[in-house]
Amino acid sequence: MASTQPPVSSHRRPSSATRHANGAGLNHRKSFSTIPPSGADLSQRARPSRSPHPHPHPHPGMISEMDRTSDPKSRGKTASTGTAVSSKHSSLSAGPQRDHALAAARPRKLRSQYPRGDTENHVEYILVASFDIDRGPIMEHQYPVAITGDEHMLAELMLPDQAHVRNQDWTMFFLHKDTSQEEDDAERLAKEERRARRDRKRDRAKGIIHESDDDEEDDGDFDDDDDDEDWDSDASSDSEPEGMEGPPLVYVLNLVNTKQDKTAKRGAVVKAMAICTRHPFLHIYKARFALSRPPTPLLLLALEEYFKSPVPETLAMLFDAVNDMGLSLMPKLSHLERHLLQASDNKDLFVEKFEQMIQARITEETGEDVADQPLDASRSPPKRPSIFRSGTKAHIEGHAAYAVPRDTHEFESKVMYKGIPIPIKVPVAIMPETVGDFSLIKLIQNFSDSHAKSLQTFPVHPHLTTNGPTTHPIIVLINALLTQKRVIFLGHNMPSGEVAEAVLAACALASGGILRGFTRYAFPYTDLTKVDDLLKVPGFIAGVTNPTFEHHPEWWDLLCDLPSGKMKISSKIEAAPITEGLVYFQQQHPAHANLVHHHGSGSGSSASHDLTGDAAFMADMLRSIATRAGERVIRAKWRAWVLKFTRIAAAFEESVYGTSALYIGSDEHETGAGAPVVVGAGAAAGHGYVWVDEATKAKELAGNVTRIEGWRNTRSYYGFIQDVAQLYAIRPLKGLDLAHLHDRLRTQRLSPLQSREIYDAFARHVHSYDEICLLLSVAPESQAGLFYLALGLFHKDRDVRFRTADLLERVAEHEAGRHWWRALSRFEKLAYVRIKKEAEAERAKALQEEGVGFGEVDDRAS
Amino acid sequence: MGASMSISSLFGKLFGSKEVRILMLGLDAAGKTTILYKLKMNQTMTTIPTVGFNVETFTYKNIKFNMWDVGGQDKIRPLWRHYYSGTQGLVFVVDSSDHARIDEARTELHRILNDLEMSDCLLLVFANKQDIPGAMDPQTITEKLDLSKLRDRPWFVQPAIATEGEGLTEGFGWLSDNIKKMPKYGGK
Repeated sequence: MASTQPPVSSHRRPSSATRHANGAGLNHRKSFSTIPPSGADLSQRARPSRSPHPHPHPHPGMISEMDRTSDPKSRGKTASTGTAVSSKHSSLSAGPQRDHALAAARPRKLRSQYPRGDTENHVEYILVASFDIDRGPIMEHQYPVAITGDEHMLAELMLPDQAHVRNQDWTMFFLHKDTSQEEDDAERLAKEERRARRDRKRDRAKGIIHESDDDEEDDGDFDDDDDDEDWDSDASSDSEPEGMEGPPLVYVLNLVNTKQDKTAKRGAVVKAMAICTRHPFLHIYKARFALSRPPTPLLLLALEEYFKSPVPETLAMLFDAVNDMGLSLMPKLSHLERHLLQASDNKDLFVEKFEQMIQARITEETGEDVADQPLDASRSPPKRPSIFRSGTKAHIEGHAAYAVPRDTHEFESKVMYKGIPIPIKVPVAIMPETVGDFSLIKLIQNFSDSHAKSLQTFPVHPHLTTNGPTTHPIIVLINALLTQKRVIFLGHNMPSGEVAEAVLAACALASGGILRGFTRYAFPYTDLTKVDDLLKVPGFIAGVTNPTFEHHPEWWDLLCDLPSGKMKISSKIEAAPITEGLVYFQQQHPAHANLVHHHGSGSGSSASHDLTGDAAFMADMLRSIATRAGERVIRAKWRAWVLKFTRIAAAFEESVYGTSALYIGSDEHETGAGAPVVVGAGAAAGHGYVWVDEATKAKELAGNVTRIEGWRNTRSYYGFIQDVAQLYAIRPLKGLDLAHLHDRLRTQRLSPLQSREIYDAFARHVHSYDEICLLLSVAPESQAGLFYLALGLFHKDRDVRFRTADLLERVAEHEAGRHWWRALSRFEKLAYVRIKKEAEAERAKALQEEGVGFGEVDDRAS
Repeated sequence: MGASMSISSLFGKLFGSKEVRILMLGLDAAGKTTILYKLKMNQTMTTIPTVGFNVETFTYKNIKFNMWDVGGQDKIRPLWRHYYSGTQGLVFVVDSSDHARIDEARTELHRILNDLEMSDCLLLVFANKQDIPGAMDPQTITEKLDLSKLRDRPWFVQPAIATEGEGLTEGFGWLSDNIKKMPKYGGK
């Protein structure tokens, strides 16, 4: 097709020489395309070795007890309480406890997600395109510089099909930076430079700490934090772990407007304006200026302005306004903190961090010498200038310059456009693969309602119809995404923005914030002009409005028709190969072999038995939606589904291939020489998904075999393996699978001895701030919270009761844990108080008996 | 068995349950969108350039027409080919007053007809804008478009004034008569 088009106008493309001449800093020119880098590259990336451990990973024997605790301080203390001091008294002495409480209460140093003075802009480009009567779509202006790459292609995307029948249409698309070697190098150098600068700054900061008479613990903590922060700051740019899939995408939000104009040739002018940003929250520019009637979105205000004065200055005005938006008071959260915030409905979670950010800013602005009291800002503010909750009376009356957001999930800021303040809400915790605003509920309902009315039957495909021909369409969709099929959302006569939303929702659905490789291969809105490029991409998720796509089943594997809510599996879909894993599984489990419905033979049984549990899951999901559960709850449930899928896949690989790279950790470490503590030898040693019994496990694996085998070898599979390795490096409690332990408490019938081992493992190992975050993440509020842990308060072993009480105390003092603690039932809280009193009494008694020596130690500690 | 077959095909004939896909192409500003909406709603609309396409369904002479009108700017003409698959009739619209671009129209028309996917489809040409002084008559249009070169394909040139609705029913009358004769449609 490209060959039939006249060569693109020559005036825009700078020679490569000029490009590199002004290539520094902000005006750095990059070339973009809408498709990911070349196909050859892809296939290479999609097929690394099948070796189960592509990443250096510690030898099992080397993971000793030391690796389990990430906090060196608590590590020391725990070891000593476990070995030196007699176990009877270890949990009763007040000293170590208080220290743990301190460690738990004090999170790492806070940083801003978008610090002041950062050179990175919120918005990188503003574009304007129009539909020329004679030439079709053309680009009119680009600011501050032209995006290199196919300008005509961009203009086409900015003017979606049928823009002429609507007077307004939003759309979204992504651009991939074409990386040339030089640009890569330049970027790497810049990154190294930043790191070096940070190191220097850190050294200076350390110097200050040494001068002030602060204790050594802080220094230790500081070092410990740095590792995390390095990883974090690199990842924060697009909330993905570093260096995974290439450079971050550029997200484009586009508004097209058609104005009937008698004076224009053929009676109308069609123009589109687009904002290009690397922030995944591009929907904020749809924010409306509420005082106008009707409320007008920011981008529409700017486009209206452009109709009046079609000059680059109009673009510049918008560019400056959006880049002036203040986000520097938005705290940066760690990986675990983001998880917790995402999964929680609590509007106060981590509110302390916002207060600290403001406090630090106030300190800075009132001219106090920060260097004199480096830690005061976060620890014990000297005075509390008024910080108010946004929207409260005091805040509205204008006493406060800064306000803590009403809901900690959203940071409130504003854009001043032509003197008009437009309020903006930026999501604080964004999970990978979450771009723009969309509704999983809407997506699920769209394809569930028609299925409920008249059961849709699919032609059987092993990767897709895991519950037989009547597999729920949403499950067919997620299976298609997991097994990297070509998925198209078709919304004929719908605004392209709505189609884009469905695509983005599907990406989030399949990712669950856990898997990656969906948004990078998503085309929220595309049209026939891009179809040749689209078809070069192996596995994509695309949104279209042109029903012609339906007439080309060779272009897609699954077509999701939005207006009718029906899905169609292509008549031309590639058959699923019979894989080794499938064959091995059938050999290993002859009893369950017939349940695996490859080629549809066992489809009847898997449909009626719901081996995957998906039918029950969807029923529960729809019940939740019907009872008006919020979007966050639904996302949390999907997240749990995806997590479960990865854990089942790990169990499957371990059972069939003998090993899996989907889980890193070690249960063999207990046999390692010199492991100082034996507490976890039994129950605490396990890992992975927990089933009630072996038969249940075999059945569930049988239901999942085909899609797991289809998932292996996909981008999201390899991406996940890389993430597991990378997260392992920064994860607290490396040798311990807290989720596994918690699941055992939750699902299995345990003997008092077994449960004692598990409770002991929790109590012994969970101390530091991050460790408690990890614990909270395996016991989300939306499920049962701390309920199963708190059952330890009723264990028949007294030591277990005491240790559990101590653990809960640590959780209660934790910045996030306090919310979990508050949700605990009254019954369990009363038990806690009773046990604490009991412990107190015993301690007093013990002190009396053991005399003064011990008491002195205790005094010093307190 | 045989009886039920004949009943169903009879019903098909009675109610025109078969849907026929028609593709309407032509240079930009030829009057395609005007024709589409005149047929669909019997209304003359002031149309603006089509970004992408329009598609409407209407029934005429018991045949359900699924008619696609695709934008004609030269830059977007390469997209026409994606609409070919499954098309049973091509409606090619010519601005009869545009002497300067009639050759361009011929080139585009033959490019379309030479595509393998269009080998079986009927051709209806609307010689539009007959009301404009100096408009070419159907005979001239036939010659200018080289229609005599077309062998097995049924074709027909219909003079029309889309804004008045003149000639449209005649054109679609020819189209529906010939569609019924097509083997795909179960015709004679």
